[in-house]
Amino acid sequence: MSPHGVVDRPGPFCTIQDLGRRTGRRAGLAPGGAMDQRAYLWANRLLGNDPAAAALEITLGGFALRFAVETAVALTGADCAARLDGVETGAWRTVRARPGQVLRLGYSATGMRAFVAFPGGLDVPTAFGSASAVVRDGWPGLLGRPLRAGEPLRWGEPARACPVRRVPRELVPPNTASLTLPLIVGYEWAEFSNADRERVFDAEWTVDPASDRTAGRLAGPALGSGPRVLDSTPLVDGTVQVTGDGLPLVFMRDRPTIGGYAKLGSVDPIALDAFAQARPGTPIRFTRADPDALRRALARRERFFGIRHEA
Amino acid sequence: MITFPGPVSALVTLPVAPDRDGIARVLDLERYAREALPDLRTTIPAFNRLLVEGSPHSWNATDVESRLAAGAEASLADAPGIDAGDPVSLPVCYDPELAPDLEAVAAHAGVDVAEVARLHSGTTYAVLATGFAPGFAYMGDVNARIAMPRLTTPRPRVETGSVGIADRRTGIYPAAGPGGWRLIGRVPAAFFADAAERIARFRPGGSVEFRPIGRDEYEAAGG
Repeated sequence: MSPHGVVDRPGPFCTIQDLGRRTGRRAGLAPGGAMDQRAYLWANRLLGNDPAAAALEITLGGFALRFAVETAVALTGADCAARLDGVETGAWRTVRARPGQVLRLGYSATGMRAFVAFPGGLDVPTAFGSASAVVRDGWPGLLGRPLRAGEPLRWGEPARACPVRRVPRELVPPNTASLTLPLIVGYEWAEFSNADRERVFDAEWTVDPASDRTAGRLAGPALGSGPRVLDSTPLVDGTVQVTGDGLPLVFMRDRPTIGGYAKLGSVDPIALDAFAQARPGTPIRFTRADPDALRRALARRERFFGIRHEA
Repeated sequence: MITFPGPVSALVTLPVAPDRDGIARVLDLERYAREALPDLRTTIPAFNRLLVEGSPHSWNATDVESRLAAGAEASLADAPGIDAGDPVSLPVCYDPELAPDLEAVAAHAGVDVAEVARLHSGTTYAVLATGFAPGFAYMGDVNARIAMPRLTTPRPRVETGSVGIADRRTGIYPAAGPGGWRLIGRVPAAFFADAAERIARFRPGGSVEFRPIGRDEYEAAGG
């Protein structure tokens, strides 16, 4: 079958992502999924796709895709000065393309990850109900590796009529110079020293360059290592774990399902989207979260984007 | 004890030892929670704990807490419903050339390497948790004589199929990567070639046996 497009340049790290795999967590599978779920969900929504349609997550840009058919794509996430045959397209919008045209993303000036969605979603293999690539988990093929130069791509409905649509300006997330992450305290929180618990909300960290899809690591003041945890404990999205060096890390999409260090609690799952776009050096603070307010915000998001969950 | 580590999740810690009996009680609680709580999206049992994650549309922390408390009480009241099923049996080659810590564990126990192999393979283990990596199982309990703590500094690379010990736990690395457990044997890598098979092999509460094999059988299985 002939491809609908070919990746001329994948850039430093380009993977296929969707909303991730929930059913495999009991078996130890990383959730996976788009690092910035808001940007990913908007890309599918612009095309009228299923909210969980497979799309490309392009880390830091440097990407080029040559189209073989007349079609459309949606671009969201980090601003990479996208151009179609040299003409700047802007982002948070759909772009129509003809055979032979090339969509190029430069290197992102702000943000970490851009998303490109396709009408009907990318036609790619799935495992445990998800096409998300988790390199760490050792899946075969595109489920376990980044895209390569020359990678052929096909998508569900290349010829579907896709009007030009844009995300309303007021809904495009702003680029922020610093981030405050709402923290639900839990796990071993009560066993950290008083001084440590105060420091969590007083201190300022920065995003460490060693951050990746598994965890956002923080650089800055060290906490005490906290209580000794005897057995690994099941983790939730955004769990904040304090490793032996006393520095917190925030678990992201490719996280393990259980963890053995002392944990402070977890970050608001919706705030993980902005955190996923925070470049190394971005100042990070924590603020105490109201869990029920976060729950209501999650419910609103699922309704807005039409996200369904089968047990 | 019940805590709420996320906006739609609850973590129950049963006041029991994290052993075969403990995980069986946690699995009883999991079955109870699956029936008593509508819209559960994920449950993760591990050692003496159960994590449940619900839907943001229906989650009510007060209600969840009272139902989980009742379930925890029920799971503690009776003997646990152990359903270990048929044991998973895996061949292990206990050879110092394949297992860099085998001699250190033997020295720690004051025995020879053959005795370490005998002590390690002489028990039917319970899977107490899965996770860390897909297809990794924490199993217990390791014979106290060979229960050596993990390395202070993890190795940058542990080979696929390596059998490790960390205190009273044992486990098999399903893929090569960094790791800090004391390596005392090796399961032929062919047992980990298929992703689906590797992921499905162990389940919490299941039982596992190790069958000692010689180097020739290990090599014949593809090494």
